[in-house]
This record gives sequence, C-alpha cells and structure tokens, in this order.
Amino acid sequence: MRAEARLSAWLSDLVGYLPLAILIGVLAYISLNAPNFLTLRNLELVLMQSLPVVLVCAGLAVVVMAGGDDVVSGGIDLSIPATAVLSAGITAQMLTLGYPLALCAVAALVACLVVGVINAALVSRIGMTPLLTTLAMFVAVVGVNNVVTASRRINVDHPWILALREAEIGGMPLGIVLVVMIVGTLFVAAHQTRWGLNLQAAGGSRDAAEISGINPGRLVGQSFVVAAVTGFVCGFFVLARGSGSSPGVQDNLMLEMVLATFLGAAFSPRRVVTLWGAVLGAVLVAAISIGFKSMGVNVFWTGLIKGSLIVVVVAFSAMAQRGR
Amino acid sequence: MRNPIKAALACAGLALATPAFADGHLSLDGKTIGVAVVGTQHFWDREAFNGATSTVEMLGGTVVPVDGGRDNQVHADNHDILLNSGVDAVISILGDGAVEPKFEALKNAGIPVFTVDHPSPHAVNNTTSDNYYMGTTIGRYMADAIGGEGKVAVFNAFENALRICGIRAGLWKYVLQDYPGIEIIQPELAEEFANAPEDARKKTLDLLSQYPEGTLDAIHVGCWDQPAIGVVQALEEAGRTDVIVTALDGGPDTLEIMAEDGSPFVANVAQQPNLIGSTSATNVARHFAGETLLPQTYVDVLPVNGQAEAKAAYAELGYGSLD
Repeated sequence: MRAEARLSAWLSDLVGYLPLAILIGVLAYISLNAPNFLTLRNLELVLMQSLPVVLVCAGLAVVVMAGGDDVVSGGIDLSIPATAVLSAGITAQMLTLGYPLALCAVAALVACLVVGVINAALVSRIGMTPLLTTLAMFVAVVGVNNVVTASRRINVDHPWILALREAEIGGMPLGIVLVVMIVGTLFVAAHQTRWGLNLQAAGGSRDAAEISGINPGRLVGQSFVVAAVTGFVCGFFVLARGSGSSPGVQDNLMLEMVLATFLGAAFSPRRVVTLWGAVLGAVLVAAISIGFKSMGVNVFWTGLIKGSLIVVVVAFSAMAQRGR
Repeated sequence: MRNPIKAALACAGLALATPAFADGHLSLDGKTIGVAVVGTQHFWDREAFNGATSTVEMLGGTVVPVDGGRDNQVHADNHDILLNSGVDAVISILGDGAVEPKFEALKNAGIPVFTVDHPSPHAVNNTTSDNYYMGTTIGRYMADAIGGEGKVAVFNAFENALRICGIRAGLWKYVLQDYPGIEIIQPELAEEFANAPEDARKKTLDLLSQYPEGTLDAIHVGCWDQPAIGVVQALEEAGRTDVIVTALDGGPDTLEIMAEDGSPFVANVAQQPNLIGSTSATNVARHFAGETLLPQTYVDVLPVNGQAEAKAAYAELGYGSLD
C-alpha cells in the first residue's frame, strides 16, 4: 500500500515536470532546426521582443497574488495592456505637439493612475468582479486612447525613448537591464516586505487574512494601482519597439499577457501564479514564437501550433495538481 | 481601359513563360528569402504574400515566411527574426513607420530589402500599384456618381502614416479641388487596421444617425476597401439608399458586393496583389542576377465603375463568374 502511494506521488511529480519538459523539448527541437536559434544574439532578440509582455505579466501577477488565482472570481486585470497603449498614446501625441518628455510622462502616469484607482474602487469598494470590471475598463481605456490619438499611427523619434531599444549599458541592452530592475523591485516588494506577505496572505485565503487583521480589500486595490504603473512603464517600451504608437497593439498584448501569466503557473511547484513564473512564461512564449518563425513554419499554422502547445502544457499542469 | 490591362496580363504571362526563366537566367537557387507580411486575414495581404512565396519557390529559393497578424508592431519585430535567421534577402509587404529602423538594420547587415506597397529609402525596390492613377480615378468616379456636388464622409486614418495612403487619399482630394460643390465632412473618420469591416460598420451607423436622409451623399474609404464592407452593411441595416460608397483595392469580396443589384458600392479600382507579390520576388532574382532595378515597379490596376464593370473585372482577374 505504501509502495503504491509512493508510486502515485512519483507519477504525479513526473506529470508535474511534464509542462517544463515539453517546452524544453520543443525549444531543443527548434534549436536543431532553426538556424542561429542558439546564439547570444537570438537570446537577446527573444528578451527584447518579450519586454512589453514581461512588464504587463509582472503587473498581472501582482493582481493575481492579491486576489487569488481563480480566473473568474479571483484577481485579474485585463485592462493593463489598454493602460500601456494609453501611456504610449498620450506620450506620443504630446511629444508630437512639442511638449518635453518629462511632462508627457507625468501626464501619462496620471492617466494610468486614474485607471488603476478606478479599477481599485470598483473592485474593492463596490465589490464588482475583477474579470468584468477590468474587461470593461480595457474597452473604455482603448476608447480614450482612440480619442487621444484619433486612431492614427504617431511616429516617435525622441532619443530617450529610442534608447530603450538601442542603448547598451556595459554590453547589455538598456531595455533588458531596466526591466530586470523593475521586475526585481516588484519581486522584493512582493516577497521580502510585510506588504508583500500580506498581499500573498490576502490572495491565499481572504478569510484567514481578515482574521489575522489584514485588510484584503485595500491590498487588492493597491495591486490594481501597481498593475497600472507597470502598464505606464510598458507604454514606453511599446513606443520604443515600434518607433511610435500604432493602433491595435493592445489586443495581441492582452492575449499574450493572459497566456504567459497562466502558463507561468505551470512552472511553479504549487501551480499558482508567481511573478517569476509569469516572466518565464512571457519569455518562453516569445522564444517559441520566434523559433517557429525562424524555422519557416507555414504562417497559416503557427497560431494552431502555439495554441495547442499551451493547452497541452496547462492540461498537464492541471492533471498534476489533481494528482496531489 | 480593359484592353491595355489584358495586354499587361498577357505580357506578365509571357514574361513568366519566356526562356529567361527556362534557361535559368533568373534563379533563386540556394537562396533563402524572408517574406514578411503584415497579416493574412485580408485578401490583398494574403494574395500578395502567396504571389511572393510561390514565385520564390518557383525560382528555386527557400522561403522563411513571417506573419504580423495585422499588427504593425509584430510585423516590424518579425524583421528582426529574419535578420537573425540569416536570410539572403527580405520581401516586406505593407507595414507602417515601425519597419523603417528594421529595414535599416537589414541593409546594414548586407541583406537587401524589397518592399511591397511601402516606399522606403532603405529598400532596393518597391513594387506597388499605380497609386497615383488609383487616387485620381476614384476621385473622378466618385464626383461623377454624386453629380459633382454634395457631402462626402471619408475614412482616412492612414493618410499620414502610410505613404501609399498619402498618395491615394491626397490625389482623391486633389481631384475634388475642381469640384467646389463637394464638401468633405470634418473631422474625417478613422478606421481601424484590424477588424476593419466591423469597426467601420459601427462608425457608419453613428455617422448615419448624425446625418439623416438627404444630408449625406457619399462615403469614401481613402486607402483600401475592407472598411467599405462594413459601410455597405450599415447602409443596408439603416435602410439608407441615398448614400453611395466608393473605395480602393477591388478584391473578390468587394467586387461581389459591387455586382449585386442596387448595390450602393458604385466605384473601385482593382489591384492585382498576387502579381504584385510575384513581381517583387522576380525583382529579387533580377537583383541577384546583377540587374539594376528602378526604385519603384508599378503594376497595372483595373478601374471598376458600376455593376457591369464589377462583374467583368471579377471574371477578368480570374476570380470566377458572377453572371
């Protein structure tokens, strides 16, 4: 009997490692078939292309940590990508009108904070469902951005913004260094501070947190404001990546943010959304999609292949959790 | 107008069948060509992409295809992937200003860039429709269709963002300067790049409630015609028969709408996206054969004025029969 239990635990552990194993297998297959995939240059390309997604994923991870990781009833913030394009739109429009970058950034930050505070108020004061609230906010904020930019592409060539894409610090691209610092700061805040521990306690069990004197509503509200700030920062990386603001960027960003964050949960030992899991998820999704493209996979099939891969990984993760 | 087009098609057909191809004068043997397209949902994009990829393969080359999913940033990023995978040349289809620094990086790495519908200082050659002719022709056709006077709403989000749209919408406006009775409603409408028909449908319904029966004569789409699909839907939903629609591109989807009885969609200028993509691929081969290319290669277009011409164009461009 005991041997059987051990075998089943061993099997469940094995299933638990499958998501990671599958992704590593796919990456190994790609590196054998795509020229120049296993090069430093390509690693840099993967990291650079994933930066905007990494930033919004980090924001989403904080919201999920505070609200719990039930996709429907727990913490989620779908409005972050909209906040990011609003930040990009306001900055691009004001730069075109001749305002200094610092003033543009302040205006964009204020707008993003307003979005975060409204989310916080609607969810933690009025008690609306985060999923619906932030989906509605996504639509509303994209609408505001369409007004700000008149739904038009705006070119940006400010040297400081282009530096996020082109400048290097000690041989490392500046953009990567900055994002590592931002994610590192969020990690320390979420794991090493009292605020962070309370945040995780609130997300783990709302009732238990309340009994121990924590105010979960307030923490959930704060998490939305943090998420809005990551959206604000992401806006500048969106501008740098595209040399300006192009309409429609938010849709793909939202899809990749949700996929990468919840894919990231498959890598955590407890199958929960974590900051590092979300970041790793974002980088892996970028690596796989770049890999398929470098391999010359038929463009009409890449969506199906990527989608199926994610379903398989998440399914194994769910099986491993049930096995526990 | 049709005969010259037929002649052009025949010439293109002949060119493909000439011994120049047969004796291997033009060849992409052993070459890897990256083909970056902004999206594959729309007929135009897909056909230009198919024309380019099939011609590269026919000339013996290998294709590395990348699709931007109708997202200009993803499209621009895809050029980095092509740069890194070490292709010999890149064919880039459409795209906004975000692609320029990527073209520059490719050029600096010694990888020649060939664009489709995107003039760029970093490209060896741009293959495109005769956009000048398209813009003026649709201006004349629209002015005629409303009797030379009236109010016109225009979807024109990309005039300043994409050069081809600047040419098409700019020359449409240039023609209208000679029709003082035609007024362009301000502000102009801005269509979305992705999901264009549905977006334009909603915006047209709003416009129609703002301009009741008798106060609006035409809706023009400045640079393409996917939004016009939504415009026609909205006119039908609102039961409006007093407004005509004009646009540019003329793929099978919009020619079918124009061919319907009583269609409000009365004028268009049809392009040949497959031939454009294919011509660009041939230009790549010419470049590698040591030929000097002109900065722009123009591919003929086919003006379509009214239902009968829509049916004829549909057959002539090889989309089938609508009779």
